[in-house]
Amino acid sequence: MSEALRDLQALFLAGVTRGDAGAERLIIDDNRVGAARRLDIYRNNYRASLTGVLADHYERLAAYVGADQFGRLADAFVAANPSAWRNLRYYGGELAAFLAEHYPGDGELAELAALDWALRDAFDAADAEPLDGAAVAALGEQWIERRLVLVPSVHRLTVRHNVAAIWNALEAEEAPPGAARGAVPETILVWRSAQPQFRTLSDDEAAALERLAGGCSFTELSEAMLERLGEEGAMQALGGWLGRWLADGLLVLADQAAAGTDVT
Amino acid sequence: MRDADRRTIASPGFGLGLRPVHYPDFLAGPQRVEWLEIISENYMVPGGRPIAMLDRIRADYPIVMHGVSLSIGSDEPLDMRYLADLKALAERVEPLWISDHLCWTGLNAHNTHDLLPLPYDAPALRCVVDNIARVQDYLGRRILIENPSSYVTFRSSDRSEWDFIADMAERADCLLLLDVNNIYVSARNHGFDPVDYLAGLPGHRIQQIHLAGHTDMGAYVIDTHDHDVCDPVWDLYARAVAMFGPVATMIERDDDIPPLADVIAELDRARAVSDAAHREPARV
Repeated sequence: MSEALRDLQALFLAGVTRGDAGAERLIIDDNRVGAARRLDIYRNNYRASLTGVLADHYERLAAYVGADQFGRLADAFVAANPSAWRNLRYYGGELAAFLAEHYPGDGELAELAALDWALRDAFDAADAEPLDGAAVAALGEQWIERRLVLVPSVHRLTVRHNVAAIWNALEAEEAPPGAARGAVPETILVWRSAQPQFRTLSDDEAAALERLAGGCSFTELSEAMLERLGEEGAMQALGGWLGRWLADGLLVLADQAAAGTDVT
Repeated sequence: MRDADRRTIASPGFGLGLRPVHYPDFLAGPQRVEWLEIISENYMVPGGRPIAMLDRIRADYPIVMHGVSLSIGSDEPLDMRYLADLKALAERVEPLWISDHLCWTGLNAHNTHDLLPLPYDAPALRCVVDNIARVQDYLGRRILIENPSSYVTFRSSDRSEWDFIADMAERADCLLLLDVNNIYVSARNHGFDPVDYLAGLPGHRIQQIHLAGHTDMGAYVIDTHDHDVCDPVWDLYARAVAMFGPVATMIERDDDIPPLADVIAELDRARAVSDAAHREPARV
């Protein structure tokens, strides 16, 4: 046989990933195991490694729908989504979009998947040196003019369902509440300090963090919040938020964050 | 073999594959392990716990890097972004050596994340040798290539796996990672004599040995790394040490991972088997 290596590999790949029987003609058949069964070993390995990493990435979603249903979801996703990644770690980021498309009536599934994925992403996001109270004190009065951004592990998710409560119940190995759709969307903040974590934001705090995500100084943020909340409301809110942001390690100086992107 | 022929560095002794479940043991205190092997891809991430743990453990142990995604046998250009990330990790870790597998993992940016088999023929040999040379030039060091477990034989194969590997190693001037369990698995699946396999290898290029467990399906064997090393693999390991001398050896466990003390106890058996085989090679 004088088949080019590349053609052989394309045919074998289709046999493994799509189940094409044509790949069987590439390999020696035998009475003991047989070409089809031998190829099946690779087909099973392929499916098991991709569905296995989905189960790792989407642990709470898997607990929510149960192992059998998750297995069916994962099989369908793998069949529709070949991996374009070199590193298996990054496979499966499109699962939330896949669920939103295929299960529009169960919107909590896609949102729970998005929360699992954001937490997984926060786990090994780039390191940063977030500002804390001491760092702000060391900067002195000029700190309010310094441009701030959020640390790289931050994700902000817009959700319509009670997925935070569902996730927390599953984490505690308790029966999750029934899925409920709220009247208005909420924002969940995901980040890593020691461990990946999340909390639900008020609309005002979500608006403040949206400005910070794009980069702004505390002075600029204060002006925007004055406009939104009035003087008294803005001062009270900003004082509370700032203490929490510093404690949670959410803020980093923009010039330090830019310098840090060269070092991974 | 004459020392002048040797391509390897002196054996650093006995090691283990570093697995996250054992991080706390390695942080808690010294363990009876001379070196550790990491799965390179697990640390080819921006930051967080994997990198923090790696830096801390690296301070106490020499490390070797073992990759699963190089895809040295894909008949297409190498993925330079992957190689750049691999090189960056190597600069951070300063590993004793870097290895990957004799296999291909995908084509046309479609990755199976599995170690797919190659036909053992001249075109595949040319592809692998050229790619190893490029990788070695880029990384500025020899790499180790590991013999795979396989379940199929291509009709176009016209030579044995060991002949292919021996030619590959000489022509590419690379080193070898000998997985003794993979030889056993493939021997069972394809019906060859594992001792013929060992006898066909260039011993002066074997830098490292993997030992692992597998799942016996009766008619065939699957390389699962979820069991202890079985007796026939210990026997084959003793043969290898008798033939090649003491080689840096480790246990590879990826599933149903026991407590670290149990894996170290299994590694102690490797020490004992190696010592005995090296002292009295004729008895093996």
